Amino acid sequence: MALQGSEELGEQVEEPEDLDDQDASSISPAEEITLPPGPGGDEESEEALLLPWDRFSAWLHCICVVGFDLELGQAVEVIYPHHSKLSEKEKTSICYLSFPDSNSGCLGDTQFCFRFRQGSNRKSSLGCFLETADRDAPPCLKREQGHYYGYVYFRQVRDKSLKRGYFQKSLVLISKLPYVTFFHSLLKIMAPEYFEKQEPCLEAACNDIDRWPTPHPGRILTLPIMGVVLKIRIPTCYDKPGTSQLVHSAQSDSLVSIVLPTIHEVDLFRCFYPVFFHIQMLWELVLLGEALVVMAPSPAESSDTVLALVSCISPLRYGSDFRPYFTIHDSEFKEYTTRTQAPPSVILGVTNPFFAKTLQHWPHIIRIGDMKQAGEMAKQMKVKKLKNLKTLDSKPGVYTAYKPYLNKDEDIIKQLQKGVQQKRPSAAQNAILRRYFLELTQSFIIPLERYVASLMPLQKTISPWKSPPQLRPFIQQDFMRTLEKAGPQLTSRLKGDWIGLYRHFLKSPNFDGWFRNRRREMTQKLEALHLEALCEEDLQQRIQKHTEVEAVDLVLKLKDKLTQAEREQLPLRPGTITKLRSHIDAVILALPEDLQGILHKPPTP
Amino acid sequence: MLPPVKKDRVITHLPKCFSPNAALHTKAGFHPQVKAMCQAQKADAMSFNIAKVIVVGDVAVGKTCLISRFCKGAFSKTYKATIGVDFEMERFEVLGVPFSLQLWDTAGQERFKCIASTYYRGAQAIIVVFDLSSVNSLTHARQWLEDAMKENDPSSVLLFLVGTKKDLSTPDQLAQTEQEAIRLSEEIKAEYWAVSAKSGEGVRDFFSRVASLTFEANVLAELEKSGSRHIKDIIRITDSTEANYTPKRKSNCC
Repeated sequence: MALQGSEELGEQVEEPEDLDDQDASSISPAEEITLPPGPGGDEESEEALLLPWDRFSAWLHCICVVGFDLELGQAVEVIYPHHSKLSEKEKTSICYLSFPDSNSGCLGDTQFCFRFRQGSNRKSSLGCFLETADRDAPPCLKREQGHYYGYVYFRQVRDKSLKRGYFQKSLVLISKLPYVTFFHSLLKIMAPEYFEKQEPCLEAACNDIDRWPTPHPGRILTLPIMGVVLKIRIPTCYDKPGTSQLVHSAQSDSLVSIVLPTIHEVDLFRCFYPVFFHIQMLWELVLLGEALVVMAPSPAESSDTVLALVSCISPLRYGSDFRPYFTIHDSEFKEYTTRTQAPPSVILGVTNPFFAKTLQHWPHIIRIGDMKQAGEMAKQMKVKKLKNLKTLDSKPGVYTAYKPYLNKDEDIIKQLQKGVQQKRPSAAQNAILRRYFLELTQSFIIPLERYVASLMPLQKTISPWKSPPQLRPFIQQDFMRTLEKAGPQLTSRLKGDWIGLYRHFLKSPNFDGWFRNRRREMTQKLEALHLEALCEEDLQQRIQKHTEVEAVDLVLKLKDKLTQAEREQLPLRPGTITKLRSHIDAVILALPEDLQGILHKPPTP
Repeated sequence: MLPPVKKDRVITHLPKCFSPNAALHTKAGFHPQVKAMCQAQKADAMSFNIAKVIVVGDVAVGKTCLISRFCKGAFSKTYKATIGVDFEMERFEVLGVPFSLQLWDTAGQERFKCIASTYYRGAQAIIVVFDLSSVNSLTHARQWLEDAMKENDPSSVLLFLVGTKKDLSTPDQLAQTEQEAIRLSEEIKAEYWAVSAKSGEGVRDFFSRVASLTFEANVLAELEKSGSRHIKDIIRITDSTEANYTPKRKSNCC
C-alpha cells in the first residue's frame, strides 16, 4: 500500500540522480528545467518594485572597515551604507573576528571568514521577495536565518609613519549568503582599491552592488564591480549534484570580465591535505554532528578547514552551528567551552593557543600545521590519543577516541596519494575528493529519501471536501527494515556498521534539519494537491445545494487557501491560482447583492 | 538562452562617420580581413565578442542621458548625479557575430576622481563627453582624456569626442564650438560626434559606429595575434625536421 503511494506521488521527493550516470556529455538537468514561476508574477515586475538599497541588501547586510586604534584597540571605523543597523554586541563581534587573534604574524594580505549570531530580531522588508529567490537554492546555499557571515580581507604591512609601526586594517563584508568563494573574489577586487583610495571607493562599490540583479539561483548573473564584470551562476536544487553549469568561455579578459566557476566550493583537497588519511572518519563526525574543533595556525586556515568540513556532507545541509573562526572574545565563548555540560554539537575553528587548554575536554580535535609547506606526504598517519594533546606544540593530526562505523576506503587514499606523486593538479585532486564525498553522502541518504517518500499518503485519499491527509509518521524500526533490501549496499561498496551509523544519525541535528525540511516540502505538496483537486470541482453546482451561510463560509475558506498558497509559495500547477480566483468570484456572484458587496472587499491587511 | 538581438542593433554595413574631418577612419566598409573572418568562422568568434567602453566628462554634460537615450530609449528631464559609476550592457550583432558593449558611465564629480582609474582599466574605447553649449566643458575634455589614458595602452584604445545637448545650441554657437571640437579631435586623434539625447538625434548612429569600430579593432587584434601564432607554428614544424627536436611530453593530468 505504501509502495503504491510512493509510486503514484513519486515526484514529490526528488530522488538523487543515479550515481552511475556520470556521462559528462549528457545535458545537465538544469539546462532543461525551466523554473516554476512563483505565484507572485513575473520577475521583471518584481525587480521593478525594488527601492534604492534593496538590491544591495539582497546581497549584503553591510560593509565594515575595522581598524586598530591605539587607545581603543580594534574598532569599527566605518559602516557602509551608513543607515545599516548593527547592535553594539554585533559590532564587538565583528571587531574581534575581523583581526587575527594573538600572535599570528599574518604579514601582507590575508583572507578568511567568520560567522556570528544575529543579535536582535530585525526583519527585512525584503523578506518575501528573498524567499522566492531562496526557494530554488540547494539546502546548503540557502540564506542564513539566525547568523551572519563575515568575509574578511585583512591587510597588515609595515608603515613607519604610523605610531604602531604597522598598517592594520580589515575590509569586511557582512552577509547572510554562504557564497564564500564569490565574496572572497569580490573582496580581492574591492579591498586593495579601498585601502588605496578610501571612502569614495566604498561608496562607488556599494552603488555598483545596488544595481546588481538579485541573487536568483539558476540564472547567469552579470555583476559589474569597480570596472570589471563578474559572471556567476548560483546553483539550484534542481541541478545534478557535482556538475557545474558555468563554463569558462574561451580566454576571457580578466580586466574586463571574470567568470567564477563556483561561488561556494572550497578546495577540499588543499584543506584536508594535512589530515587526509582521516577524511572518511571526518565525514562521519560531521555527518553525526559531533563536537569538533580545528586548531590552525591562522584564521585563513581555520576558516578554510571548517568550511571544507561543513561542505563535505553536501548536498546535506550541516544543521548545527559552525564557526570558521572563533575567538576567546566571542559572545558564545562561555556557552561553547563550559565544562559543566557535554561539548555542544558545533564545529569551531580556532587559532589562539589558549584553546588547546580550554577545549582539552573536547572529543575530537583536528590540529593542522602550516598548509603552505607542501612537503612530502606522510606514508601513514595514526589517529592520535586525546591525552597526548596537552602542549601547545602538539603535532598536526586528528586527536580522538572515535571508532568509525564504516570500514576505511583504501582506494580513495591510494588514488589521492598517486595523484600527489604524479603531481596531479590540485583542481583535479579536489574534483576526485569532492566526487568521493558526494557519492558517500548520496549512498547514505538515498535509503532515507526513499523511505520518507513512502510516508506520503495516497493520492486517492485526497478529497477536496476534507482537510488534506496527514503525512504518516517516521518510524525508525520501519526505516531500518527497509535497509535490508534497499540499503546503501546498492550504491556503495563500503562495508561496515551502516545500521549503527544510521541509528546515530537519526539522533543528530543534521537528521532533524533534513527531515523537517522534507516534511515541510511534502506537506506543502499535499496542500497543493488538495487545492488543485478543489479547483477541479464544480463549486457552483455544489453551492446550489447548500444554504447561503455555507456558501459564505466556502468563500472565506477559499480566500484563506488563496492567501496561504501565495504566502507559502505552494508548488502548484500553473494556472491554479487564477482558477481559484475565478471560482471565488463565481461563488460570490451567485450570492445576493448585499452580500456580494461585503465579500468582494479585499481582505484588510 | 538570451533573446535575439534587437533589430536596430544588427549591423551589416559600417556606419558612416559624423565628420570626415575628424574620424578614426573614413573607409566605406569594414576591413576586408574582418569581413572574410566573419564569413568564414562565425562560431569561432569567441574571444573578441565584448568591448569595455568608458564614458567620461565634466559634471552634468549629459553622460548618463546619452547612454539611457540609447539603451532605454528614454530621456529624463530631471538631473540625478551619478554616484561612482553606472553600468549598462548593450548587445549587438556585427556582420553576423554577437558583440556586446560594456558601457561604464563614470561620475563627473570631483569627489569620485580618485577612484576613476579603477574603472578605466582595460577599456577598448573612451568616450569623452562635453556640452556643446559650454565651452568650458570642451576645454576640460583634454584633461579627462589624459586621466583615462593613464590606465590604458594608447595604441589600442579608440577615442571619441562627443558634444551633447545639440538641441540647446544656436546654429552660430554650434558652428563655433564644432570648429574647436574638430581641432581638438584631430590633435588627440579622436572621432568627433555631435548629438542630442533629448531629441535622440545622432545617438543611435554614434553608438553603432562605436560598436562597429571596436568590433573591427578587436577582430584585427585577434587576427594579428593568431597570425603570429601561425608563424610560430611554421617555425616549429621546420624545427621538427631537425634532429634535435624533442616531442613535447604528454602531461599526466587525468
